[in-house]
Amino acid sequence: MGKEIDIMRILKRLFDLDNLIADKEADKKIGFKIDEEVGLLSLKKERASLLKEIPKEYADSYERIKKRYALAIAEVKNGFCFGCFQQLPTEMLVRSNEIVTCPNCGRILFWREE
Amino acid sequence: MNLASLLSRDRINLEMKSTKKEEVLKDLVYMIKSKTDAELIYSTLLKREELGSTGIGKGIAIPHCRSLAVSKLEIAIGRTIKPINFNAIDKKPVSLFFLIIAPPQDPGNQYLITLGKIVQISRELTKNNLINKPQTPDEFISLINEIEKKIAKKR
Ligand SMILES: [Zn+2]
Repeated sequence: MGKEIDIMRILKRLFDLDNLIADKEADKKIGFKIDEEVGLLSLKKERASLLKEIPKEYADSYERIKKRYALAIAEVKNGFCFGCFQQLPTEMLVRSNEIVTCPNCGRILFWREE
Repeated sequence: MNLASLLSRDRINLEMKSTKKEEVLKDLVYMIKSKTDAELIYSTLLKREELGSTGIGKGIAIPHCRSLAVSKLEIAIGRTIKPINFNAIDKKPVSLFFLIIAPPQDPGNQYLITLGKIVQISRELTKNNLINKPQTPDEFISLINEIEKKIAKKR
């Protein structure tokens, strides 16, 4: 553990999980049954255990960004951060294997593997 | 928004051999993504099911989630040869599955609109006992088209 690519993988899972929890109310409105007692509890446990799997500095940084933005991770597309739609400095574009944050908005950046 | 226009023939499998909940989810995800992306979506879908089964009753389930693994709304449809246990609301086995995956950033909230629409269409499918009627993906898409038109007229 410790390779940035593995940490990013866990951060992505965490991010998907957070979106799931955020969409819960919308799901209820549409008519899906949500199990708050067992279901939500198990997701929160899973969330806590994912956070423990990554080094504290990354976990803290994710939590800090999440307090500021609903979406803590943003995709890089054509050299732009899709969180704030600002162009990224060219020297950053070769760092797709590292965990870096957008110098403008601070979101964690991710490059789609294609 | 026209749902039928979001469907594609090669993402409709009306002869799925999956026999378990996990299997059917995995098989559906592999219809739209491969390897690492599929793993991320699959794990998120399983977690969504922990929050409550997406089996809405009468043989239909609508597994759905948002995932970083996709950059646009993706839909896959599957029908299993044998109905399977999906812990549906009515405890009945499920044979028809609508898989919906959306990116976290989703202009116009297409995800929720699509979900709502599929729930509505599903009600019509079960009300008129149509789950097993279409025999080919093309027939399936035209049936959805027909139902959509009918729903639009009622408004
Ligand atoms: Zn940014």
